[in-house]
Amino acid sequence: MAVLSESDRVSVWAEDMRDISNIREVCAINKIDLRAAVNATDDWVDANQAAFNAALPLAARNGLTTSQKARLLTYVVAKRFLMGV
Amino acid sequence: MATRFILTPQAAEFPATNFPQLNKVNTRPVLGFDAATSETCYWTVIVPQGWTGTVAAVISYMMASAVSGGVAFDVAIEAVTTGDALDLDNTSSFDTVNGGNDSAVPGTAGYMEQLSITLSNLDSAAAADYLRISLARDVADGNDTATGDCYVLEVEIRDGA
Repeated sequence: MAVLSESDRVSVWAEDMRDISNIREVCAINKIDLRAAVNATDDWVDANQAAFNAALPLAARNGLTTSQKARLLTYVVAKRFLMGV
Repeated sequence: MATRFILTPQAAEFPATNFPQLNKVNTRPVLGFDAATSETCYWTVIVPQGWTGTVAAVISYMMASAVSGGVAFDVAIEAVTTGDALDLDNTSSFDTVNGGNDSAVPGTAGYMEQLSITLSNLDSAAAADYLRISLARDVADGNDTATGDCYVLEVEIRDGA
């Protein structure tokens, strides 16, 4: 699997800024730095997706679809970081 | 210097796509200009008698979330004089945009700041002209570096009277 396309990365960047604006959360970096963070995050996910898959128990690794694994990762990350766990 | 127009968020006119969201912040109406997509809105007025001298747009804004970086805006003018050969049904005739930026937004989100842009390109606007004023955040400008929405509170149009 490859990294996101340029337009998809722009879309993620724009959506993130809209979310930050909507919840009126202070953002201490400028949009160039935020865009670089989007790229870095996507690069990291791309580089580590095999490790994530390998870390799953065999049943989940073989039984979940790619979308289901992605959703699982999203929920866990959100719970850990957005909920302050 | 005289104040000629106070352009409020509620009086803004919107194109079919890529327009700022009319929103409220602490009951204050604002136009939320996106940081990634250039959005535009318009106001329509009649140029008052006595209109003279250098004209400027003073944009009062606050940031939704950004505490660093800058914002850039473009203001364009379309002046239509009675009898002009301009079919308003399907034609716009804006003069070249007038750009300006504030290189440092307030260090606290929610603080108000004002950005003044001299309208050198005024489409020869004269008293009694039917005038449209376009406002767009210039997200591609190198000075527009602040994240998130820029909330425009009001735009004041001043002339040299």
